[in-house]
Amino acid sequence: MISYLIRRLLYSVPIALGVSLMIFMLVHLAPGDPISAIAPADAPPDVIERLKVDYGYDKPLPVQFALWLGRAVTGDLGRSVATGQSVSGEVMSAVGNTIMLSLCAALVGFTLGAGLGFVAGYNQGRLLDKAATAIAIAGISVPHYWLGMVLVIVFSVQMNVLPAVGMGPGGSSDWAWDWAHMQHLILPAITLAVIPIGIVMRTTRSAVAEILNQEFVQALRAKGLSERHVLGHVVRNVAPTVLAVMGLQLGYLLGGSILIETVFSWPGTGFLLNTAIFRRDIPMLQGTILVLALFFVFLNVVVDLIQTAVDPRIKRA
Amino acid sequence: MAETTLPGMVPDTPVASRGYWSSVFRRLRGDWVTIFCLVVLLAIILSAVFAPWVAPVDPYKTSVIRRLKDIGTPGFPLGTDELGRDMLSRLIYGGRLSLLMGITPVINALVIGSLLGIVAGFVGGKVNMVIMRTVDVFYAFPSVLLAIAISGALGAGLVNSIVSLTIVFVPPITRVAESVTTSVRNLDFVEAARASGAGSWTIIRVHVLGNVLGPVFVFATGLISVSIILASGLSFLGLGVRPPEPEWGLMLNTLRQSIYVNPWVCALPGLMIFITSICFNMMSDGLRAAMDVRA
Amino acid sequence: MHIKKIQRLIAAASISLSVSAALMAPGVASAQGTLRIGMTLADIPLTTGQTDQGGEGQRFMGYTAYDALVNWDLTTADKASDLVPGLATEWKVDDADKTKWIFKLRQGAKFHDGSEFKASAVVWNLDKLLNDKSPQYDPKQAAQGRSRIPAVASYKAIDDYTLEVTTKEPDAFVPYQLAWILISSPAHWEAVGKDWNKFALQPSGTGPWKLVSWTARERAEMVPFKEYWDKTRVPKLDKLVLVPIPEAATRTSALRSGQVDWIEAPAPDAIPSLKQAGFQITSNGYPHNWTWHLSRVEGSPWNDIRVRKAANLAVDRDGLSELLGGMMVPAKGHVLPSSQWFGKPQFDITYDPEKAKELLAEAGYGPDKPVTVKVLISASGSGQMQPLPMNEYIQQTLGEVGIKVEFEVVEWNTMVNLWRAGAKSDQVKGANAINFTYFIQDPFTGFIRHLDSRLTAPNGTNWGWYNDPEMDALFQKAKNAFTPAEQTKALQEVHEKFVNDALFLYVTHDVAPRAMTSKVKGFVQAQNWYQNFSSITVE
Repeated sequence: MISYLIRRLLYSVPIALGVSLMIFMLVHLAPGDPISAIAPADAPPDVIERLKVDYGYDKPLPVQFALWLGRAVTGDLGRSVATGQSVSGEVMSAVGNTIMLSLCAALVGFTLGAGLGFVAGYNQGRLLDKAATAIAIAGISVPHYWLGMVLVIVFSVQMNVLPAVGMGPGGSSDWAWDWAHMQHLILPAITLAVIPIGIVMRTTRSAVAEILNQEFVQALRAKGLSERHVLGHVVRNVAPTVLAVMGLQLGYLLGGSILIETVFSWPGTGFLLNTAIFRRDIPMLQGTILVLALFFVFLNVVVDLIQTAVDPRIKRA
Repeated sequence: MAETTLPGMVPDTPVASRGYWSSVFRRLRGDWVTIFCLVVLLAIILSAVFAPWVAPVDPYKTSVIRRLKDIGTPGFPLGTDELGRDMLSRLIYGGRLSLLMGITPVINALVIGSLLGIVAGFVGGKVNMVIMRTVDVFYAFPSVLLAIAISGALGAGLVNSIVSLTIVFVPPITRVAESVTTSVRNLDFVEAARASGAGSWTIIRVHVLGNVLGPVFVFATGLISVSIILASGLSFLGLGVRPPEPEWGLMLNTLRQSIYVNPWVCALPGLMIFITSICFNMMSDGLRAAMDVRA
Repeated sequence: MHIKKIQRLIAAASISLSVSAALMAPGVASAQGTLRIGMTLADIPLTTGQTDQGGEGQRFMGYTAYDALVNWDLTTADKASDLVPGLATEWKVDDADKTKWIFKLRQGAKFHDGSEFKASAVVWNLDKLLNDKSPQYDPKQAAQGRSRIPAVASYKAIDDYTLEVTTKEPDAFVPYQLAWILISSPAHWEAVGKDWNKFALQPSGTGPWKLVSWTARERAEMVPFKEYWDKTRVPKLDKLVLVPIPEAATRTSALRSGQVDWIEAPAPDAIPSLKQAGFQITSNGYPHNWTWHLSRVEGSPWNDIRVRKAANLAVDRDGLSELLGGMMVPAKGHVLPSSQWFGKPQFDITYDPEKAKELLAEAGYGPDKPVTVKVLISASGSGQMQPLPMNEYIQQTLGEVGIKVEFEVVEWNTMVNLWRAGAKSDQVKGANAINFTYFIQDPFTGFIRHLDSRLTAPNGTNWGWYNDPEMDALFQKAKNAFTPAEQTKALQEVHEKFVNDALFLYVTHDVAPRAMTSKVKGFVQAQNWYQNFSSITVE
């Protein structure tokens, strides 16, 4: 087990390298040069040249990559071309906001998903099962950013009970755990939770159904074991699978929130990415994607470990 | 979304018998939900394919005075969009691009991913390591992020989006294919076939393909709805199809501004995406249930 | 069973949640006299002096926290906005040597950090943009500011309150150029450790507003600067909060749900429902021009004046106005009809499709031989209004007279590069027009930079490679007109040629609609890209 852990961590290093190379290539492949975002449209050519030198864009690409990677390893992700502030600083504070939103969405999504999954699994084939499955499938079929817009119309504009944008009256630097701030979490978290509800529900349901259908459960019941004990048994057996899926969904929530954050102007990494993409803020783009991807790599390792620990059949080469 | 292989999602004991497929069809025939979804999907697909004959008017014709008319306006059964174009025609034509952007990447990824996965699973060793580690690098990105990053690099446009989405879906399919192939390869009857002198190609053809393609195919159909939603998300961000082409995600984006004038009309493209995705998902579920060899 | 218990818990939780939600209404405007503005920008503009993000950036982070030597008059709505003294009280060109300007500077003006404003500060600020050997040189600000003062050759402080500026050649538009240059506090820069990034966190200018805090991409907070030198413009509000909300629909939602009190550029479609819901809509013409910049490269169909005139007569501007909910001024020329430089052109720009067809027939075109043009357009972009619907509408009306329009849709960043590259570049892929919107508030930016034959790519933005010695001569005349009366007359002549030769496709001018709650009082929308926020109060 320990050797697998070490091997897996070692594998993550070339993966991380590959990830950073890919990010760098993607970002520099993009049409439109980075200077156009910082200089006004009619800046004279010598100003543009000077800017290129100042930001190091005149060096050949491999050199730029090596320099960037070298600094990134020490935690210095450079300075944002647009704001001049440190990229690592901005990414870290944005990550905090995204984590907050993701955890809330995870809370809603996982509890509802697991709950519905259990209900469906225990009532296989009956109406409750079909209803719960319908909810789950609806969850993964709806374009969630559109759902967000609809919720804003209904709850912010028409009913005026929840805010439409942002993270609170004072912005993200002013967070407090009171209603004035937490109400900003509700709509984005619900919108973001829709897909995890669906996926967790279906996984839980199939896992619960599988356990319940096994013969030894009938045997346990025949022996007179109380339902509560059977439930405990079921929970213990589905936990690893369900937890693995939840772990991966958490990764999706962290990395895939860009559309929701755009709709709600939630100052997280997704929103950061969106602005970085359209302003061609290359250091910010590289830094944000790198942090997110590394997070995901780490999460994948953890999930793999859980899976292997639980089911040794899935040993990878 | 990151869907991955789990013990519960892949049949543990693939059965290579001919009676298998006929029992699958029998099960499908009795599943009215799946059949219903199939019918709805066929209706959508056929109307998209035969759009020029089905759509009542030209989906590109604008009219400043007829903007954002309600559903049920005479001559415009589903209303008009922000430029006065007929919504019904736009939705029908839009189905072409949306379905194209939904299905093509999955088909491409199915072919490429299965190939890579079967090779990795069957050959094993160093080849497996190279392929799977490369897949891991791509897997390090949540799919939305990867799609946006690649589309951002390649630029907007239909072809670029299809390329981007194909790249996004190859890793999960490769993983599923490799995982199933590995488990099949090590089974007794494959050993037996080898012992009796069957060559690798025969083994692949008879035993591996039959058992791998099934689960991979089911997995892929589940990806179609993800692809449609991702594609519409790309258009939503301005990275997908370019105007004035009708495509559900793009329509959702351009109608967003008019949401206070006529919210019902603006909701229609989202509804189409929703219906199509649900049908694909239900069908995928039905297929999986029919192919599952559980009592 | 357990499931039933869970179901009951969920029911109870949702009831209590909705009750508490109903009891607490969100986002009510907090203290008396705080104005929260939703901007179209994606981020807070650069705070160090020379702002970025175009006109809106300068509007909110430029003339609020800073002044230039020459400011704009932002206090009236019913006449064209003109230059007024800022940190300079008067200026004139030397009669003998027209390349020398003397600026008399304001005494007693203070920076936010308390230091005194003197001529040395102006020299220091010009060095920050032009002299890359100076320690305070800032490439980001230089990128924004240098192209605004092309005439400036050298500058020096004669004494504490007198500045001398020497230009490369006589240029009467120097005051307009210096109106772009905002003055940051040298003393404060030294005090924060000679670091522009630190200065950005805590800026110091001479403007009526003081920036007290800001969070990137989220908000900026400004309070009045009580010691501002112009006592009539000390702000009345307690606080001004700027919130970037780039999505138009989200911006409207934010206003309607009470999270902000004022939004820039609401989507035109949302305006009627906003009016119905009791919000105020302000708008006013301003020096903004939405146009097709035409290519005059060899082989371009626009080289024939009859084609250019025909196109101008074929645009149904009233129909376009309906598309925009009335939020536009139909173009009669390059500048607003109310501009002091409009003059009396002979070519009357209206909607006359019959005349257009005639002209095209004269030029040898007809229904079986249409003119084909290819236009670069973007899906969005700063100041571009509603580019797609507008362009598609124009495509339709031009098609009706026999001009076939083909579009090449590019995204905004690419568009800017293509604009810089010029019509002869391969990148534009044979397009012979580009839909760009122009800031036409000063003579150089409004007229000269587009059509001066020396300013073709890469030296300038004469995108179409237009070359007419007559126009160059008119520009020279205007640049050498040093009295206001002479200057106005010369610029009128320039404009008359712009219109009579139909040098652009003149479509419309934006009116900068803004929506705000009925509690916002005292705002006067000037005919200017920039606005004055000092007279506003919020009930």
